[in-house]
Amino acid sequence: MLTEGQVVVHESLGDEEQRLRRLVLKGPIARTAQAGQFVAIQVQDSSISSFDPLLRRPISIAGISSERDEITLLYRIQGRGTEILARAKCGDKLSVMGPLGKGFSLPEKGELWLVAGGIGIFPLYPLAHRALTQGLTVRLFWGGENKSFLESAGLSSWKALGIPLHLSTLDGSLGQKGLVTGQAQELLEKSSAASGGHIRAAACGPKKMMQAVTELCKNYKVSVEVSLEERMGCAVGACLGCVCTLIDEAGVLIHKKVCQDGPVFRGEEVVWDESC
Amino acid sequence: MSPVNLSTQFAGITLRNPILTCSGTYGFGEEYAAYCPPEALGGITLKGITPLPRLGNPVPRLAETPAGLLNAVGLENPGLEEFLKSYLPKVQKLPTAAIANISGFSLEDYVLLARALQKDSGLAALEVNISCPNVKHGGMHFGTDPQSAQEVIAAVKAETDLPVIAKLSPNVTDIVGMARAVQLGGADALSLINTLLGMHIDINQQRPVLANTFGGLSGPAIRPVAVRMVWQVFQAVDLPIIGMGGITTWQDAVEFMLAGATAVSIGTGNFINPQAPLEILQGIQDYCEKRGLASVHDLVGLAHRA
Repeated sequence: MLTEGQVVVHESLGDEEQRLRRLVLKGPIARTAQAGQFVAIQVQDSSISSFDPLLRRPISIAGISSERDEITLLYRIQGRGTEILARAKCGDKLSVMGPLGKGFSLPEKGELWLVAGGIGIFPLYPLAHRALTQGLTVRLFWGGENKSFLESAGLSSWKALGIPLHLSTLDGSLGQKGLVTGQAQELLEKSSAASGGHIRAAACGPKKMMQAVTELCKNYKVSVEVSLEERMGCAVGACLGCVCTLIDEAGVLIHKKVCQDGPVFRGEEVVWDESC
Repeated sequence: MSPVNLSTQFAGITLRNPILTCSGTYGFGEEYAAYCPPEALGGITLKGITPLPRLGNPVPRLAETPAGLLNAVGLENPGLEEFLKSYLPKVQKLPTAAIANISGFSLEDYVLLARALQKDSGLAALEVNISCPNVKHGGMHFGTDPQSAQEVIAAVKAETDLPVIAKLSPNVTDIVGMARAVQLGGADALSLINTLLGMHIDINQQRPVLANTFGGLSGPAIRPVAVRMVWQVFQAVDLPIIGMGGITTWQDAVEFMLAGATAVSIGTGNFINPQAPLEILQGIQDYCEKRGLASVHDLVGLAHRA
């Protein structure tokens, strides 16, 4: 679907140093959006044609309100595209393609473990919401650079969900010092006798982190879904710009399109070696 | 005012209008259907195929540049057998003309592909990619040497009853010489232009952005080069031209037609605006109406009058 999304909220999120933004767009995308899907957004007002940047930006959907026809996008300003996007004002209309891709799946019952690295937390919030509505038990493992980051990137709204939070920071300023996988491993170790089949994990974050989470899950026989990221061209599966390498059931390496077949894949099918 | 006649005929190909989509930017025709109804297009040029399946290049395959996009996909495709089995039946159901695009690493590759693709496969034409810059020992060799280009087109022509379109590389000194060579080889039409070879270096990481180092540049950045080449070839060679290279608006499309393109093809422009083909068609139609032209074909080469 190609729509004009009207900017209804566009604000800085937390500490300005973190360069995080919250963008709420009004439009019909919310009616069909699922957690883990994304939109391809034109960063400049679509009434002015500009070719730098040329392409749309893929941004994961961080909030879905179908009653109000609103989706929330959370992003970090880290390049020319997001620099320009950050200038959009309330009332502006932005051209949005979406919802795109395949999102996370949920088990019918049991426990859902969310594992996030940095801003990989953003697409997990609507997933937590849906899982809780369905009556699943949810817990979050979230690692970030420091306290300022976690607080800026929405820690209070996670606390409001009333689920167990296992936080870690690289500098130890909040939660445990170290990587997010450390805490997950500890708990898996403790609960491994009882666990196994009833835990499902969903991970989003840097590639190395998702690879580590996948390996960890494999060791404890926990099924995990990961949300991959790649430079995208068309965002609909036509240009083959954003392929990832998977290994199929027969052990053959295949390519899938992150934009159309993903961005969410089963962790165990992903080939993490970058030379593929 | 009577409506403008949009139908476009050339080289035994009949299109309902002059708007095509470029190979490699439109998949096998279904990917964009939710955004741009295929029946509104003159035709779709399919993703290039090779005899055997190819995984293509590693990622990153894309790099943005000002008004441009570098790509190094490396001809990822399911291969001929899988194309015939799984993709062609769907292509045949597309409510628009479909042009297959073939690539090879040897003359035999092209012969094999051309032999398998005939009029009875329901295709409108065969576009021969002799200009892919993204694979080692790839089509590029055929696209930069006139003698090889002539041979490969002649070989394809001998194998298929479909109209043959030669897609030329702009990475040559003399585009007219290349056009003449493929004409001698028996090409029925030309696609001008493929991407320009380029690269982009990440100054923070101090290494090329693309895993393949080099890539093909497309997008508005290359449009003036493409228009110039269409202009030159139109003057010198009597073959219909499909103009492409950075078309994003109807004004761009009109420019190509005035330079000598009989039809135009939208590639990277689809990524920016998936409804670009529809808007471009409407814009061309309005332009013709305003100028009192009865047929869109009347635009072709009009800028050469003076």
